[in-house]
This record gives sequence, structure tokens and C-alpha cells, in this order.
Amino acid sequence: MRLPTNLICLTLSVLPSVIAVYSDEAYSVDYHHELLGLPLPHTTFFYRPRKDDKASLIYTLSDLGVLGAVNPGVGTVVWRQLLADYEGLPQPGFLRPIEGENTVVSAIGSRVDAWDALSGKSVWGTSFEGAARDVEVMEIAAGSTEAKDVLALFEEGGTTYLRKLKGTTGDVVWEFKDGSVDTPLQVSTNVRSVFVVSLHGSSSGYNLKITVLDPVTGKRTTEYTLTTKLDVHAPEDVLLVGANSAAPIVAWADKAMKTLKVNLLGKPGDIQSLPLKDSDGAIKKVELHAPHLVQSLPHFLVHSHTETSNRADVYHIDLASGNIKKAYDLPKLPGQGAISVSSQEANVYFTRLTQDEVIVVSSASHGILGRWPLKLETAQGSLVHGAAEVVQKSSDGYAIRSAVLTTEQDWVLVRNGAESWVRPEGLSGVIAAAWAELPESENLVKNLEVEAESNPVSAYMHRVNRHINDLQYLPQYLQALPRRFLSSIIPAEIIAPKIGVLTKDSFGFNKLVIVATQRGRIYGLDAGNQGRIVWSATAFPQSEGRSWDVKGIWVENLKGQTTIRGSDGEYVIVNTTSGTKIESVAPGSWPTLTATALVDSTSGKWLLPIGIDGNPGDIPSEWAPKDTIVVRSGNGEVKGLRFEPKTASPNSEPVMTWSFTPPADQRIIKVVSRPAHDPVASIGRVLGDRTVLYKYLNPNVALITAVSDEKLTASFYLIDTVSGDLLYSVSHEGVDTTQPITSALTENWFTYSLWGDITTDLSLPSTLKGYQIVISEMYESDVPNDRGPLSYHVNSSSLEPSDIPNADPSLPHVVSETFLIPEAISHMSVTQTRQGITVRQLLCTLASSRAIIGIPKQILDPRRPIGRAPTAAEQEEGLFQYTPNIEFDPKIILTHQREVIGVKDVIASPAILESTSLIFAYGVDVFGTRVAPSAAFDILGKGFNKISLVATVAALWVGVVVLAPMASLFPY
Amino acid sequence: MSEDLAPPRWAVELNSPPVPRTKATIPDPPGYTAASSGNKKQIASSKTPARTAPTTEEMDTLKLKKAWEVALAPVKQLPMTAIMMYMSGNSLQIFSIMMVVMAFKNPIMGLVATNQAFEKFDSDGTRAALLGVKAVYVAMQVLALALGVWKVNGMGLLPTTRSDWLAWETARDAIETAIPAF
Repeated sequence: MRLPTNLICLTLSVLPSVIAVYSDEAYSVDYHHELLGLPLPHTTFFYRPRKDDKASLIYTLSDLGVLGAVNPGVGTVVWRQLLADYEGLPQPGFLRPIEGENTVVSAIGSRVDAWDALSGKSVWGTSFEGAARDVEVMEIAAGSTEAKDVLALFEEGGTTYLRKLKGTTGDVVWEFKDGSVDTPLQVSTNVRSVFVVSLHGSSSGYNLKITVLDPVTGKRTTEYTLTTKLDVHAPEDVLLVGANSAAPIVAWADKAMKTLKVNLLGKPGDIQSLPLKDSDGAIKKVELHAPHLVQSLPHFLVHSHTETSNRADVYHIDLASGNIKKAYDLPKLPGQGAISVSSQEANVYFTRLTQDEVIVVSSASHGILGRWPLKLETAQGSLVHGAAEVVQKSSDGYAIRSAVLTTEQDWVLVRNGAESWVRPEGLSGVIAAAWAELPESENLVKNLEVEAESNPVSAYMHRVNRHINDLQYLPQYLQALPRRFLSSIIPAEIIAPKIGVLTKDSFGFNKLVIVATQRGRIYGLDAGNQGRIVWSATAFPQSEGRSWDVKGIWVENLKGQTTIRGSDGEYVIVNTTSGTKIESVAPGSWPTLTATALVDSTSGKWLLPIGIDGNPGDIPSEWAPKDTIVVRSGNGEVKGLRFEPKTASPNSEPVMTWSFTPPADQRIIKVVSRPAHDPVASIGRVLGDRTVLYKYLNPNVALITAVSDEKLTASFYLIDTVSGDLLYSVSHEGVDTTQPITSALTENWFTYSLWGDITTDLSLPSTLKGYQIVISEMYESDVPNDRGPLSYHVNSSSLEPSDIPNADPSLPHVVSETFLIPEAISHMSVTQTRQGITVRQLLCTLASSRAIIGIPKQILDPRRPIGRAPTAAEQEEGLFQYTPNIEFDPKIILTHQREVIGVKDVIASPAILESTSLIFAYGVDVFGTRVAPSAAFDILGKGFNKISLVATVAALWVGVVVLAPMASLFPY
Repeated sequence: MSEDLAPPRWAVELNSPPVPRTKATIPDPPGYTAASSGNKKQIASSKTPARTAPTTEEMDTLKLKKAWEVALAPVKQLPMTAIMMYMSGNSLQIFSIMMVVMAFKNPIMGLVATNQAFEKFDSDGTRAALLGVKAVYVAMQVLALALGVWKVNGMGLLPTTRSDWLAWETARDAIETAIPAF
């Protein structure tokens, strides 16, 4: 019975299937920057997941709260976990390896988790009230086989909690609660005691309080205070609390950066002063590096930076006497440098990277163990900090790998001085992005516009002139001709495409994406070339703990300029293709803004800033927008503004024309409008009996989402944004307002998803809840072949909908349907095509699946017949029977195997091909692809064999040439 | 045409072949009346060689009769065509397309050639009466054409529904524009 199975398999394989990404398109049309965020100095380290194996991985908990392991050999991500909810900047995170146990422990926010270091799977995880302030691995006496326990320091409402968690399960062994109101800073331990370091006092000047605990019982043994003499004002002022070393220390610098004060933990009243040398200029920054292993020698290094140079001093701690004495120093070198510490058993190595070389020294003596010239292939800026791994190969041979972060926010692995790989981690944390056309053929567009507007004769002359002018490019054109021929037959990649050259293609796939990150950097990515970084620049560097709040990106394709506006009034204008700054205005020069709008005024288009409370302020009349501006104001309303000229003033002032306020207990969480590019090819929907349901195509509509946290409702209001009229509203009960509620509005339909009651029978109280997506289509009338109250009017006005004065607006007829979905949708957007002929696809971000899916509109159709098979007419319309749930079939996942984390937004752009829409998703990661919602009907697939076609034609031609003389020999 | 010139024998026999001898012994099958009666008439006429030629009135009557036959011919095949069209279905395939083409071609060609069809029946006497016949002929061709139209309509090829004109309808232009700034 083998034949039938084979036959079935064959038949099934022949059947066409509707899939989002064809297997031969995966990894070629889509691109993904798998990013972590900037590695932080205290949470980045090399660590061997397998005790006996020499192979190690780089672990980091980044500034975005992404925990990841990176293969140091090739720089690929081994595994990642997003530990922070991606809402602004995450809370500080802590990461420690457990030596010899294949586990790393992380603490961020309220959670403490242990992860399998090799696979990234969760070993255990617990959460507590309050926020984590530190986590430390509890060292145990040598020889013990038990799993090492974890100390977690939490701050909860001003109270310090220290909990010892069982290394195997995460259960709490003991809990220590500090009664006084202090700011917990760090926990440190040697084998004998546990030290909790906290800031005691007020922000005008803290003292350091050290509480010593018994590691077995968690009872307080002693407690002492170090007087800092007003040197410590913030947690950042304490430089180091030497973690798990044999002699943990706490150190801080005095205000003038002249001396460094050090206390060995456990020795009350013993503050040793170490001088900080500053030969050229004041010391700007002091860093301390100490080993983290209890078996390592108690040595530490003080790295001091001035504006122009850096130097380092190595100190030894005498364990018996508790004295600190200087061993040697590393000479002053110009520029910035990065020093990292690594320990191998008792030996401690310091690795120093400067602009031009890498040196390794042992902590014991100043002899240089290895020295390599530093060769970075691309200009990376200066080095910020690094993590290093030193391996002793022979008695005097050392190998060093160092993962360094540069000021250009690239993460570079330097292996024995040579650059091994570069990860563009600065590209993570994108907060805004916009599509940009390649400017190459914009000239042609301009010319064509000129020709279209002038009279036929002059247009003809213009065109002839243009063609004569084009003749100078003929040699280049002829040179490129063979390549063009070849590339249309053989896949273009084979004939060495020119890397680094931005060329516009005839399909419109090559576009740029301008992105701005929360750290104040901007990048230009080539969407047609696997998302390659074309340029990057620093726009406005952000201080630590602050995120750049970009309010608008405006790409002027004709001028080749991009304007990026931030919330503090700063803006930068850059060249779209090169990233060179044209104009930059520092924060504070303009008033604070909450949004921007691209408006059309008599003086041209410009990006209008909207100030606090939705007030754009007075504007010179020639720059005043002609149209109504719809803004959100601070007190939870949406309002429409028109600019009216002021009397006796050249300025215009905004006048409120309407405002929409939801009921008192509701707050507006989201407002969406139709996309700027939203063409509609057909204004009606043809039914099975060939009658037409006319779509309600008002361009000026907005969908407002308002939730009530007390009544657990979510209400959706569809308003006309010119008149402010309420067109439609719907409310859902039993909604969890903390879950994501998203919405999208396009063409004649809107959709939203939420977690709430599933109402099947309205008479019964609902007990079922779930994630649901609701699709609503708007029509001009519920009767086919009827264009509603406006009938055959050519124009529509929202202010005066009909000839009758003060008539009601023509309301849309709304058809809705609800579908259950398996998981929450965190963001929605819609594909865009050039003319809107192609059916739209709803792009949904699934945060928990780390995926982006494209739900076809055919599935999301409120007209699907319920509880019966479709009639012949309905089948003709393309309707199939309603099923209450939509399964997220792997075939509709646009990201296929890729895991895209922290997606904030998905933007779409039309290609020249009508079938195709370009998609770009950003957030922590950057992902881009192309989708063809109605299949790629206007382009040949990769499976089309052009070579065999050409060969067939050529063979036929040869046959004709050979046979024609033979045939002519015979008269008939 | 001279009256006293008798037609040659072969011509007479061509028109009325000699009666087979078996004719007398074997009776005609039931219902075989028309031919035999015709034959009898022919025999009778052949027996009178100096047959009187039909008068002009008779010829006109005859012509009119024939003209009526021609006029009604299209309608005779209509039931058959209708059944075939019904059976061939409304889908677009080569058979139904050919049928539709024929259903349009025949009546239109017939209409174009209306005068040629009745040319041979045309005489001074019949001219007046022929007008009516022609009118009926045209009506019959139109009827056949209507069948074709019915078929095309069934196939959904006639732009009779609203959806067929949808492409020429345009969306209303909004007079006002609102720019969202959320």
C-alpha cells in the first residue's frame, strides 16, 4: 500500500497553498537586525556555560533590558530574553553568572530569574514587591557541591529587603528587612559575611551605611556608618562595591576628584585615602575595576580619565592587615581608553584598550604580558568600555578577546588587536522611523511634472531638450547594458552587485528608512539591500536615563532632506542619502512640543509643531495651515483647530472648531486616523448578485479608543475630524484595560483588538473572556445600489452635509464581526500599495510570540455568513462560512523563523509594483520585509526559469536557421 | 415564353419520374400521402403535356407563399437554439462562446441581407404584400437576436447591473481636509 501514500503526498505537494513567505523568499526579501541594546559595563562579561569546556559566551543585560548571549567567535546572538516591558527606559538591571553551574541570574524590575546559560531557558523565576536594586551570587566554601544561593536586594516603598534565594528553586531561604528608610545600593559578600551597602541620610549629602549579616541565618551582626563628608549625593557617586572578591571594598571619590576614599567592607571606621593624579586638567571620571571571584587575588585598578587622557593605578589589598598599597601604574595615554578585568582562578588580568593598541598586564606585576596593535576596520569613534577574556595559552603566550563598546555605539570584538566582528547595537531602541525615496530619479519626476503642466508645444520642446541632454549619459548606459541584460536572466546577486551604491530599481523595492533611536542617534537603512546601514550620525546625545522623544520625521523626497523634530524643541535636518547634517537646533530653542503635523500653507509644506496641551500657538499668517488640525490636548480630549488671522497682527491664531471629550470616567488611550497614503481603487463592494454596496470613504475620520479603568470598559468612537460629529460608537464590557488595546483605520474599515467579555447571548451574563479582534466595515447605506443620503453629489462636506441647513451628517452603515484570537496583539497597522487595488493586509505584532503576522482581509470579513454554508451568490463574492476563531497559522507569520522582539511600530510603504508593500518594523529589533497580500501578480517569481526560456527561443531560432536552406532545396 | 412549344421529354421525366411498376401492387405506407399525392399530381400533369403555365396571379401567390416560408424560417430553429443555449450553461467556454457568436451572427447577417432574401420573390404584384412579409422576417430575426441577448445576459456579459458601471463612478471629493496630529 505504498503507492497511494506516495500519490497523496504528490497530490498534496502539487496543491497550491496561500502562504505569506515562500520558502525561497525567506531570508532574501526579509532582513532582521537581531539586537540587544547597548551592553552596560557592570552586566557584560565572558562566561563559560560548560565548566569543562573552554568555549565561552558573552552575556549582557543591555540598557533596553534585553538579556542575551552572544557567540564571541562570530558575533551572532545565541539566545535572547526581553526582560523589560518596552515602555520607555527600563529599570536598572543586574546580571551575575554562577561560576561552574551553567546559570546566569538576572534581576530587573520586580523579577529575579535564573537562566540556563547555554540555551537561555528559564530555570526559575520569582517576583517580589518593589524593585530590584542588586543581585549577587552567594559564594560557598570550597568543596561544597550544593548549588550556590542567590542574594536579591529589593527596595519596597523605602524599605530595604534582602532575600536569600535557593539556588535550585528560587525559594526564599531567609529575608532580612531593614527598618530604617535608606536607599539600598548594593549587596556584597565574602564567604564569611553578607554586606548591604545603603545610602543613609538625605540627598543633600548621604552617608554610607553598611549592614553586616550572617549568611546562614540572615540576622544582622553589626552595622556601621561611613561619613562621606558630603561627597556622595546620588547612588552613582559610589564608584564600586567590590562584589564577591575576597576583600570587598566600597569606594567613592571626593568632590574635587583629588582623592579616592576606600573602605574594606567589614572594617568600621577605616577609610583609606588614595591620591588621584591629574597631570593635565581635572579628572573627569574615575572607574574602579576589581575581580568578581572569591578565589582571585584581592587587587583592584583605578582608571582615571581627564578630558584628553587616561591613566590607571593598580592597588593590592593586604588581607591580613587590611592595608591598601599601590603596586604599579599604567602610564598616561592620550585619548579615551577602556580597561577591563578578567580573572582566571587566582590570577587577575587587566586589559587596556587604547586608540592604537591592546595590552594585557597581570595584577601582580607591571610586566606587559601581551601587546597588540589595535586595528579597527571602520572608524568606530573612541572606546567607551569593554569586557575581556584572557586565556593563557602557554607559559608566556596569552590570547585576548575583548568586547568593546565604542562611542559610535557599535559593539566590537577585538581579538588580539584585530577586529573580529561589529554589532551595530546603537540601532536598537528605535523610537521613530520614516520611509524615504532614493533621490536618483526624482529629477525625472520633476521634469515630468513640468511637462505635464506646460502647454503641449513647450512641453515637447522641453522633452526634446531633455533627451538631447540625456545623450551625455549614453556611454554609461551602453556600458551598463550587458549587466542589465544579464541581471534580467541570471539572478542579480551572481553578477556582483555594487555594494554601497544606492540605486533605484524599477520595482521600487529600493528605499531608505530613516530611523531615530532613543539614544539620540539617527541611521539610514537601505531597505532594498537587506537593511544595510548606509549612514549613521549622532543627532542629540542623550544623558543616561533619558530617552530621545522624537515627535516627527518628515522626509522631503524632492529636496533629499529629512527633518527630525524632538519633544524639547530640538530639530535636525540631514541629507537623506548621506546623513550629513544641514541644520541642527539644540533642545530648548523652540517650545516643548507634543506632536507634529505635516501641513500645507501658502508658503509651502512644513512640519507644524504642536505644543503642550495641543496648542500650536500663533503662527505667521503665510505659514498658517489651510486645513483643520486635529490634536489631543492634555486633559483627555480631542479637538479640531483652525487658524484664523488675528486682527492687526501678521500672525494667525488657532481657534477651536470642535472638541470631543469622552464620558468622565473614560480616558483616551489611542487615536488613529487613515494613513496619509490610503488610495481606494473601487468605491463599492460588488455583491454576488452584482449589486453594489458603496463604501463609506470619508478621508476625515478618526477612531478614538477610550477606556474606563473603574467600569472595565473600552469604548471606540468614530468621529468626523472636520466637524467633530460622532459617526459611530461601540463599547465593550469586562475589558482588561492593562492588556494591549490596539486599533487600525483604513479604507472603509476599522479594526481593534482587546481582552474582554465574549458576548454570545446578550441575555446571559457573560462568563467567557478572551482576546478578540473586531472588524467593522462602513458603507454609505445598508441597501445595495444606494449611495446614501448624499446620493450623487460630487463633493462632500462635513460641515454642510446637504443643501438643508444644519442637517445631520450622513452616518455610515457599520457591519461588525468579532473573532477570537489566540494571543494579544500589541500593535496593528495596514499594508499600503500604490493604487489600492491589492487587498489590504492587517499587520499585527504579537509580542509574546515575538512575531509579526499579516492577517488577510478576506478572513477578517464581517459579511461572512454565520452558522450556514454560503450561498452561491455569497461564494461568488468570496465569502466563506464564519468561524469564531482565527488561528494564527504559521503560514501567515511574516517573520517566519525570526524572533523579532520589542516591536513598537510597523510602517508600510508602497512599491512601484501594485502587488507589493514594503514593511518595516522597529523597536528593540529592526525587521523589514515585502508582502504581496493578493499574491505577486505583476512580477515573475524566482521559480520562473528565464534561462530555459531564452535557451528554448535560441534553440528554435537555430533550428529555423539550419532548416530553412534545407527546406528551400525541395520545391514542395 | 411560347405556349405551343412542348417541353422535351427528358425535362418532363425529370420533373415527374416514371412511376415504378411495384407502385400498383404495394400500398403506400400509412401517412405517406403527401408525396404520393404530389406524384399523382405530377403524373396527372405529365399526362397532359400541354400543361397550362401558371398565371401571373398564381405565380405571385406562389411567390408570396415561398416568401412567407423564408420569413418564418428563423423562428423555426429558435426552440432548438434555445434548448442548446440552455444546456450549454452560462460559463465562459469555447462551446457557449461559439453558440453566442452564432446567435448574434445569424440574425445580424439575416437582417443585413433582408432585401436579397426576398429579391427573387419580388415582382410588381407581390411588392406591396412583401413589405409585410419583410416586416415579419425582420421581427423573427430580432426575436432570434433577442435569444442571443438573453443568452449573453445569462452569461453576465451585459452591463445591466450597477457593478458594471462602478468603475466609472468616483468617490466624492471632500471639500474640507483635516490633518491629524496625535
